[in-house]
Amino acid sequence: MIRDITIGQYFFGKSFIHQMDARMKIVISLFFIILIFLCKNFFSLGLVAAFTVFILSVSQIPLRLILKSLRPIVIIVIFTAFLNLFYTKGGRTLYEFWFFEITVKGVYSAIFMAVRIICLVAGTSLLTYTTTPTALTSAIESLLSPLKLVHVDVHTFAMMMTLALRFIPTLIEEIDRIISAQKARGADLESGGLVKRAKALIPIFIPLFVSAFRRAYELAYAMECRCYNGGKGRTSMKKMHMTFRDAVALAVVVILTSGIFLLNFKFKTVI
Amino acid sequence: MTTEPVIRTENLTHLYGEGLASEVAAIHNINIEIMQGELLAIIGHTGSGKSTLIQHFNGLLKPSTGRVFVDGRDIWESKQATRESRFKVGLCFQYPEYQLFEETVYKDIAFGPKNMGLDENEIDIRVRRAAAFVGISDDMLERSPFDISGGEKRRVAIAGVMAMEPKVLILDEPTAGLDPRGRDMVLDLIRNYRSQTGNTVLLVSHSMEDVAKLATKVLVMNNSQVAMYGSVEKVYSRGAELYEMGLNVPQITRIFMGLRSKGVDVKEGIFTVEQGRNEIERLLKSRGVLQ
Repeated sequence: MIRDITIGQYFFGKSFIHQMDARMKIVISLFFIILIFLCKNFFSLGLVAAFTVFILSVSQIPLRLILKSLRPIVIIVIFTAFLNLFYTKGGRTLYEFWFFEITVKGVYSAIFMAVRIICLVAGTSLLTYTTTPTALTSAIESLLSPLKLVHVDVHTFAMMMTLALRFIPTLIEEIDRIISAQKARGADLESGGLVKRAKALIPIFIPLFVSAFRRAYELAYAMECRCYNGGKGRTSMKKMHMTFRDAVALAVVVILTSGIFLLNFKFKTVI
Repeated sequence: MTTEPVIRTENLTHLYGEGLASEVAAIHNINIEIMQGELLAIIGHTGSGKSTLIQHFNGLLKPSTGRVFVDGRDIWESKQATRESRFKVGLCFQYPEYQLFEETVYKDIAFGPKNMGLDENEIDIRVRRAAAFVGISDDMLERSPFDISGGEKRRVAIAGVMAMEPKVLILDEPTAGLDPRGRDMVLDLIRNYRSQTGNTVLLVSHSMEDVAKLATKVLVMNNSQVAMYGSVEKVYSRGAELYEMGLNVPQITRIFMGLRSKGVDVKEGIFTVEQGRNEIERLLKSRGVLQ
């Protein structure tokens, strides 16, 4: 159930994507999100979907894990698809009943939305699956370093993000444990109306917050014991380097982009 | 006394990641019977399936195959039977102090009985009885569970489970992380609880010394299966096998096993210092050293 959430986890591996420079991975991930929404017809959408499958297989992350990470968004996908199906009007009417009307454009936009969300989640979650939290922080810090000029504390920001990511799995485990403990005392989480269910969460969330604070204190002490005092003058042992891999990845993305534009241009726009 | 065991399992197996390539059996084909009034210690190294096993006794985990009977009734027979098993078998997890959440100690101990649907009066009686058992004074009942010491929190959490007055009380490593005084206090309260209520107690423990002092029977888990199940004497006399499972017999038992292997005529199954002393005295008397 709750353990199915895999967002923010890192899975050890030695694939091409694992070994890429984290900065390149972040830039490509952001660019990929834009690309997904640039598709104008089924051909370019198909290309994006194929690319998603391609990078997933290159990453060597087990398919099972990817499917598991997609499970929580199924409801969102279905919900969005439905809304688009009924609310987008245009083109020939396919079906009509009462005051509902399904049009060709509605069907198209439903399909587009579903594919886009799935590609978006599957593609971007690869970033954290294949990048260690430390590499991710260094990369964020490095990418945001121009902001130092306007006195933004980039290092602290990056450290906060990493710590947040690092603690997602820990807190999930903690919730699991607390739920079991309260169930053992007869807590009933599965029945009753909305108010009753919301109230039933109190015995779960209070211990969770308490333990989150406790962990935060412990972590802060541990960091201070190792003389952490922010980013000033801090250097890193492992410098990040762009390699031929990143050049290859960049080339692939350039080809993908031109492919999408070409297909958008060549075939009729449907959305 | 009925001869029906309080807890009985039938070919109980639990698989994690069922149907996947990574499928592993956390517990495999467990057939045990636990009688009323026993103090059963469950031992085994980390990952041997102890925690998975005990979570089946109150229906927190559903068996992949096999059945669990509490009081002769299959706990998965109906939704109601599962819920009943929650109250008949009280499970207190490891580090239970992290489950405390109420404004006052009193309210926290009352959480379980309240969930049972008891009336105010009965709840009050049970809370005070459980608090007295674990040595929580009346004025502490009105304090916040977050303002008391670690050992006190632990005892409050145990009282929270005791207050449901389950027929079987399961404690998962109740002494973990406590100082020697805290540990003795918890062990004492377990002993008192059992002798005064006559209820069954299951104790998951790593400490072979504690087990020797308290238990009437021992269940040894190894590789997801029951490796040994019997009286403390029987189990502890197989020290060499226990050692191979990554477990250790108490120091005093090791000394006596060493003496035996050196040809000294001492009894088998010595596992408390007290017994050891008596045995040495007997030996010295028989040789005329002591009067």
